[in-house]
Amino acid sequence: MSLALECSGLRIAYGATEVLHGVELTVEAGESVVLLGPSGSGKSSLLYGVAGFLPPSGGEIRLEGRMIATPRSQEPPERRGVAMVFQHYALWPHLSALDTVAYPLRRSGSDRGAARRRAADLLDLMGVAALSERRPSELSGGEQQRIGVARALAREARLLLLDEPTAHLDAPLRAALVAEIADQQRRSGAAALWATHDVTEALAVADRVGVLREGRLVQVGSPAELYERPADLWTARLSGPASLLALDIVERKDSQAVVVIQGRPHAMSLASDATSALGSAKVLVRPDWAEFGGDLNALVTARWYRGPHTDYRLATPVGELELRQLGPPTASLGDAVRWRLKRGWAL
Amino acid sequence: MGAGRVLALLAVAAIFGVVIAWPLTRLAIEALGSGTAPFIAALGPEGVDAIRNSLLVALTVTALAVTGGFALALLTEHARVPSRSFLLAGILLPLLVPDFVSALGWTRAFGPAGLIDRLTGVELPGLYGPVGIVLVLASGAVPLAYLLIVAGMRTRAEPDLERAARMSGADGAMALRTVTLPLLWPVIAAAGGLIFATTMNTFGTPAVLGRPAGFATMTTRIYSDLAFSSTDAAFERVLGLALLLVAVVVLVVVLTDRLGPRRTERGSIAGPRGATRPAGRLPIALTWTFIVLTVVVPLLALVLTALTRAVGLPPLPENLTFANFGRAIDSRTMPALVNSLLLAGGTALACVALGAAVAIAPGQRWRRRGSGIVSLGFAVPGSVLAIGVLLAFGRSLRDSLLIILIAYVAKLWALAARPIAAALDRLSASAVHAARIHGADGPTALRTVTVPLISPTLIAAGLLVFVFALHEVTISILLYGPSSATLAVAILNVQQLGDPTVTTALSVLLTLLVMLCAIPLFVLRRWWSASLTA
Repeated sequence: MSLALECSGLRIAYGATEVLHGVELTVEAGESVVLLGPSGSGKSSLLYGVAGFLPPSGGEIRLEGRMIATPRSQEPPERRGVAMVFQHYALWPHLSALDTVAYPLRRSGSDRGAARRRAADLLDLMGVAALSERRPSELSGGEQQRIGVARALAREARLLLLDEPTAHLDAPLRAALVAEIADQQRRSGAAALWATHDVTEALAVADRVGVLREGRLVQVGSPAELYERPADLWTARLSGPASLLALDIVERKDSQAVVVIQGRPHAMSLASDATSALGSAKVLVRPDWAEFGGDLNALVTARWYRGPHTDYRLATPVGELELRQLGPPTASLGDAVRWRLKRGWAL
Repeated sequence: MGAGRVLALLAVAAIFGVVIAWPLTRLAIEALGSGTAPFIAALGPEGVDAIRNSLLVALTVTALAVTGGFALALLTEHARVPSRSFLLAGILLPLLVPDFVSALGWTRAFGPAGLIDRLTGVELPGLYGPVGIVLVLASGAVPLAYLLIVAGMRTRAEPDLERAARMSGADGAMALRTVTLPLLWPVIAAAGGLIFATTMNTFGTPAVLGRPAGFATMTTRIYSDLAFSSTDAAFERVLGLALLLVAVVVLVVVLTDRLGPRRTERGSIAGPRGATRPAGRLPIALTWTFIVLTVVVPLLALVLTALTRAVGLPPLPENLTFANFGRAIDSRTMPALVNSLLLAGGTALACVALGAAVAIAPGQRWRRRGSGIVSLGFAVPGSVLAIGVLLAFGRSLRDSLLIILIAYVAKLWALAARPIAAALDRLSASAVHAARIHGADGPTALRTVTVPLISPTLIAAGLLVFVFALHEVTISILLYGPSSATLAVAILNVQQLGDPTVTTALSVLLTLLVMLCAIPLFVLRRWWSASLTA
């Protein structure tokens, strides 16, 4: 059995309110799966259910093939062999960083000396060896979470649960720590289940992404699938910037199509799930799927310089379009510009 | 600082001087002025007895109440309990029953010819004496310990901290030992210190249950020396005992406060809150048994006695009557009731006004310092405070409500000042800054932003002081005169005459009055915490 985690028909309820409505989710050994969803979508509840802090009200959870939770019986958290990094760090105010990281090692039977030596190694690994005698109140958020990660690694679990580990950190710190956590997780060989509401984080670290909406998994797939072929408009907007154009499709062959814009035919690559119908359609366009040049007309209505690239909002005859171009701005507000459509995703 | 603010601060300082500083100074002068005589008197055989008894009772009560409170806190906070709100009401109910009323209830329930004796022929051995005193005081202190420990659990031992321990491989007991308990030690110590201090200071229960058995504590010894002997030696013993009492209590409060809640940096809470694991049957059954035995049965016995035509009759329908209440309200108790209400009302208004005055103190540091100094009055045992007030104002204000009012304000000022200062601390500075930047001057910002935001706290603080003043007896028993007796004093006096029906009728009246005033407190508390989390 190469599945690290298997949730089938998982339901979780707080009293009479059900927050997860039958979730099917698997995580393979060593795989990194990210749960993406807005707050209140059930990400944390799913994690806490797997951890053993919330009993399922329906369905079951298996870890490496072993049944650990059904509505009737649940294995206590400490016997599931799962580690967790908490959103608010959950560091113990009365313990130093070293004792905090040594804690799981002590619980799994190491003697004090060995546990502390290993803990010191792990703190070093996370780049916080110098802080080993500090208590949480003397540490910044980023430092606290590094210790939280070291503690989770010390558990030497086959599955690592990460509950928005960087949600409370400043943006520049966030990307660096996320990369580091993902790196350590891969090295340890443990599978990971992350929860996040940050799409760039999700796309960057996931082998697969599961999109949660109001307690239901609405799409599971690779990051590229999610970005290029979102299941619906809601998922599309959650998984990155997107524009919706109203196009008239006159010809389709495989992934190529001819659409009519401004009365003229226009060739583009167009993917869709099942339908190959012609006629008017809503077509999703990511900012990098259109470019300046070409023979279509538009008016620049907004412009944001982002450093490596510039984002524009264009008013076109087929709808409002967001377009991204590398480099500094080349057009100003109110300019009439020319553009071309390279690809789209028909919803 | 404006001139108005300076004047107001000076006025508050002057009132502090009159009600707290001067009486305590007066007591110190009197006691130290007579050299070592007070201490020699206090360490005579009767004094040593009283000291030993007080310490014994206070230590046992503290240990029992803290253990009970912690166990109940674990039950209600860590597990899902069926009919939780009823259970909480049962746990907290003793807070609303004056301790000497509980003691009376216990005598009617478990004493000779009490309810249980009548039904089963069993009575509680040692009810009159240390065992009874400890049981009544401990069961009365459990809700206080429970509340403090629950508050500590909520702010210090967040659920995620224990979850992190479970995720690290600790089982429930190990998580309790290595995470929950170490985090809660300061809170437990503070709760223990507070309960020790209140038990040392309490008068009503030892008076009701100790006196018949000749068991004197420091407070009842001080009372009987002051009230029944007029010798210099007795007065010297009063001074000596008072100073020793204040020394022990202040020492314990300071020590436990040192251990006590260090400020934690944690604010927000992650992860689902509230327990999902159902509680075991045995703990729930034990808790309900505890509530029934220590709260329901005594109160029921009290009410039945108050409703029974005459002592000795079984509480059967044909023997029930409301006549005792009519007899209870007579020319002695009616003025006492009026006195109690006037005193409680006056104390509440004065304490809220004085507590709110710290709002104009310049900055948080001064506010803290102010409410810290005022806490002196709360920490000093009631009987000691009363002696100080008696020494300072006894000559001019004897037999007036004013002298009791002074002592009450000294005692309860902190009770109002602390929550008000805390509410002001919670108030974000930006709320006032926003008012100022949008055109409000200082007083206008105070009136339109600060006061509306803390008004629930002001009302709650007032009610809290009112309730405390209403069932206060330690101070008033030492300060009352023929025309200034309070209802609580009247009950204790009638009780000594030995008429249980009238005593219990009065006790029921007083308890109902306290509960009536406390209901808005509970409602406000709910509304208040809701508005905070909204």
